[in-house]
Amino acid sequence: MPPVIPNGSEMLPTVSASAGEASGAAGIAVERSEATVRWRPSRHARRLLTLAAAGLLLATITRRPELAGVAAPALLLLGAARPPRPSRIGVRVRLTTTRLYEGELAAVDVAVDDASHDVRWLLQADRGIEPASATAVNGAVARFTFTVPRWGRRRVGSVALVLHDRWRLAEGRVSYTLPAVDCYPHPAVQRTRVVLSRLPNRLGEHSARVSGEGVEFTGVREYVPGDRQRAINWPATTRRGRLQVNTFAAERSQDVVLLVDATSDVGEPGSSALDLGLRGAAGAARAYLDGRDRVGVITYQWGGARWLAPSLGRRQVYKIIDTMLAADAGYARGATFRRLPRAALPPGALVVAFSPLLEQRFVEALRDMRERGFSLMVVDVLNTEPPTRLSFADSAARRIWRMEQQAIRFSLRELGVPVVHWDGDAPLDLPLAPYTRRPLVVRR
Amino acid sequence: MGPPVGGPEPAAGAVTSRGAMAAAGPRLAAIVLGAACIAWTATPVRHTGLATTALVVSIIAVTAGALRLALSDVPQPEDDYFLAAHVRAWLAFLAVLRLLPWEEIAVAVLLWLEVQHPARPWHTAALGAGLLAYLLAVHNAESGAEHLIGRQAKLLIAGACLLALGAGFAMLPAAGPGAGSTLLRVLAAAAVVAAAALVLPA
Repeated sequence: MPPVIPNGSEMLPTVSASAGEASGAAGIAVERSEATVRWRPSRHARRLLTLAAAGLLLATITRRPELAGVAAPALLLLGAARPPRPSRIGVRVRLTTTRLYEGELAAVDVAVDDASHDVRWLLQADRGIEPASATAVNGAVARFTFTVPRWGRRRVGSVALVLHDRWRLAEGRVSYTLPAVDCYPHPAVQRTRVVLSRLPNRLGEHSARVSGEGVEFTGVREYVPGDRQRAINWPATTRRGRLQVNTFAAERSQDVVLLVDATSDVGEPGSSALDLGLRGAAGAARAYLDGRDRVGVITYQWGGARWLAPSLGRRQVYKIIDTMLAADAGYARGATFRRLPRAALPPGALVVAFSPLLEQRFVEALRDMRERGFSLMVVDVLNTEPPTRLSFADSAARRIWRMEQQAIRFSLRELGVPVVHWDGDAPLDLPLAPYTRRPLVVRR
Repeated sequence: MGPPVGGPEPAAGAVTSRGAMAAAGPRLAAIVLGAACIAWTATPVRHTGLATTALVVSIIAVTAGALRLALSDVPQPEDDYFLAAHVRAWLAFLAVLRLLPWEEIAVAVLLWLEVQHPARPWHTAALGAGLLAYLLAVHNAESGAEHLIGRQAKLLIAGACLLALGAGFAMLPAAGPGAGSTLLRVLAAAAVVAAAALVLPA
């Protein structure tokens, strides 16, 4: 289960503004504001006016009094309707959250302090927003729900309030532009973790191969001065005639660096290589942070890399996702992939790369990292192939392309880099299963 | 996933067969009233150029208004690139249907068609009632407002009386020869209508 996103009411700033001001200010949620209503004749009123005007005009031109009578009912309706039309009105528009995951429901709550008019709310959703409820609702209070199917920063759209008088001859309008929302990639399901055989000397939750103060029993040895009395194994002591003590595995944490290849985005939008890479990295970040590991991220893209140093804690998940989503700005940061600082890529860290392995320079960078002694693992997120065509040249090119891809994966495996394929639907635990059952041996 | 929303869904989401019938009723009424107004005005058919043109335009306007009402639930798709020709044509057709004020055109043209016929006061008064009913039915179909006719019943009765009064004015024999007397009758009828509109309370 992804983490609970805090309610948007805690995050959104509250301002007091008129509708005219608020409608132009994207990124602001308006709470309890006084809105200026713009009144105008309704379509019904305009039609009645046309009937009356045409009747009177033709009566005058043709000098036929019965045509003036045709105008009478319409004029009566228009003349008798003198409803109160308030110029300002109390309106509340609130977005429940500005951060959500793909496919997650969010809502816009709207309310108006007016009981004398018929009220209609309209949601005009922007591109990339899918309404999950009716987009037009009658009543003083309404709630529109929506989802965002694909990650990214999205403008929600606008909400329009339409007020009708008792006879629906005049209508007042108020419009609000809703703030943009940040949609995070839906994290892949991962419950198990790949653990290195050699862990840094830092307290954590993974059982290390060295003895320590953990809870996992590793063996029995002879007592030496300084050992704790409660560790004495009395049955073994009785059998051997000398004091024996239990030994336990030390519990350590590891550094994990997630490497996301953002150079290639191939496949259907929504399940492309970049979509799967981001979802897999988000799921892995959450799984390793749940295991008290320090997790960081490096996003590889054209012209350089954007990185976030490994760290602990729940907030790190959001920092990692924010770093991945802001990958477009990576070049400005000035870091290149070949010259990453030690903080971004600590020695002895486990590097998990999510890539379709289509970019040759990225593959070369992986080889380079392996030769420098990093423990690498590649999750292959390529789930598409060149289109099938009937011509011989096309089918030959397709075969050559496949062989090239197989060769790239083979060469990485030869270097000791496990390459697992992930289709994006199954949990990440499945392809990683061969490597999560036992510690991944670190080879220098 | 922590759901950021809770509470009940808006009740407007459910579409039942009863709701569909309730929505289709006013639309059907508007279409029938529009067709009836055309038939009422056109008979007896006159074959002068202006009358034929007015008849064709009124048929087009009423048909387009009916199509607009029937297709009012079809959503306008998002702008997109490289649309197929038939999709572009369909979008243009929808845009034209929703852009022009078809009912207003129909009302004006039908009155013009009525003028093409010789004077027939009660026929014209019935046409006025029919046009008002047509506009009210269109408004009901568009807005889904309930009890709108009931709220305006008193005014509609007063309007019908004035309509009959207008027809009655037309049937009175002229006070004297010349064009001035007929113009005076028209002005008198218009004055009665205006006075009633000003005097009646909201």
